[in-house]
Amino acid sequence: MTMSAPTTQALPAIRLSNVCKSYGDYPVLKNIDASVARGEVVVICGPSGSGKSTLIRTINRLEEINSGSIVFNGQDIHAAMPPKQLNLLRSSIGFVFQSFNLFPHLSVVENVSMSPIRVKGVAPDVAYDKALKLLDRVGLAEKAKAYPAQLSGGQQQRVAIARALAMEPPVMLFDEPTSALDPEMVGEVLAVMKSLAAEGMTMLCVTHEMGFARDVADRIWFIDAGEILEAALPEEFFKAPRHPRAQRFLADLRH
Amino acid sequence: MITDMLNIISNYWLLLLVGQYPNGQLGGLANTLILSALSIALAFPISILFALARLSKWRLLRWPVTGLVYITRGVPLLMLVLWSYFLVPLLTGADVPSFVTMLTTLIVYQGAFLSEVVRGGIAALGPGQMEAAKALGHSYLGAMRFIILPQALYNMIPSIISTFVSTIKDTTIGYVINVPDLTFAASQVNNQLLTQPFQVFLILAVVYYAICWSLTQVANVIERRITRRRAGVTRGAATATLAPSKILSEQP
Repeated sequence: MTMSAPTTQALPAIRLSNVCKSYGDYPVLKNIDASVARGEVVVICGPSGSGKSTLIRTINRLEEINSGSIVFNGQDIHAAMPPKQLNLLRSSIGFVFQSFNLFPHLSVVENVSMSPIRVKGVAPDVAYDKALKLLDRVGLAEKAKAYPAQLSGGQQQRVAIARALAMEPPVMLFDEPTSALDPEMVGEVLAVMKSLAAEGMTMLCVTHEMGFARDVADRIWFIDAGEILEAALPEEFFKAPRHPRAQRFLADLRH
Repeated sequence: MITDMLNIISNYWLLLLVGQYPNGQLGGLANTLILSALSIALAFPISILFALARLSKWRLLRWPVTGLVYITRGVPLLMLVLWSYFLVPLLTGADVPSFVTMLTTLIVYQGAFLSEVVRGGIAALGPGQMEAAKALGHSYLGAMRFIILPQALYNMIPSIISTFVSTIKDTTIGYVINVPDLTFAASQVNNQLLTQPFQVFLILAVVYYAICWSLTQVANVIERRITRRRAGVTRGAATATLAPSKILSEQP
């Protein structure tokens, strides 16, 4: 491993090597080389348009890459493979979207239990019980029978987290999970994410919540123009960022 | 005038209802209903297959179906009916009953129109739903079946019903190739009476209107029920906070 990881486990959960992606002539990701250790919480931050979301979306192959490799649990996500294998890989990577993307035609408990039933073949009553437990965990047990349209943004995002957790993924990816929320709802979502981190979930979060980054992250990746300019411990990053672009970014945040 | 119409109905009701049956072919209203029901029942699944083919990333699937849809939508139904009526026996030598000719042509024609409605419904959902399904490990077809289509078809109920209604109305075209349907029966009645075309064809119009109107009503009930269930109005508690949902297929 080229980068110093604070955790000592040998095998990284996710290893990105020389990942390049461009839209036509415009490069979005340039030679991304990084890894996430098991149990580690990495926060990706950077100005908008820097490639943060694209980067996180390449990890479960919602975006294709042009070259390089992304290895998750020993398997190259972007290798040629039959669709079944890709679906299986995706089912073991939890993904939380900025816009929640709950299924509006299904009740909350159906949203959480449908994928275990349809993808993993879990018996419906087992999946249902599990969904109720997960909803209880994100504080929404009483909303099980409600439909997404009846929930606030923060509640919807917590359901989306429960839905991802229902597949029991060893890794969770968050793509700006609080950016579409009213300010007073950000806290409830971050609290769920914090509790996940405390339980040792491997997490990769794109977020603008610097408080969360400072408190919860094991490492910060600062991205600009498709490059990881700085990968540092949060205390180092917030106190004394090395890269001038990161210094400017943090200075702008304080205003 | 009303008495004329009542007289026509009381004298010819059996002909209008079932045609020459049981002495000849089944016809009249019964045949119109059977033709409509079969066309709709078969055009609907075919339209979903057409729509999926048009959205497919495989050209081998996408191009032929796109071509078929373009041609079918760009040619009048009457033209298609005449083609299949004259060309199919000419090319295959098979003696195809006019009912089957009409049914197949209607299925392809309405299937093409309906497939554009379905495709529009899928496209209108945006990419987020499919991405969420993929991220959870659903296969493409699994996502379509359980996540995309249930929403797309529900959102498209008004347009789908419109197409169903025009399918029913288009069965009248079968008249030109002697499909013994309600229009055909009414025309027979008119030929026997000779002096009352207005009354005869008013009866015809009223019957068609009643059929199409009933279908729209059924659609309204279904749409309302789904809307209510999705709004979660099971206990009545949440009703106050929800704006009343619009039922869009109200107009026939």
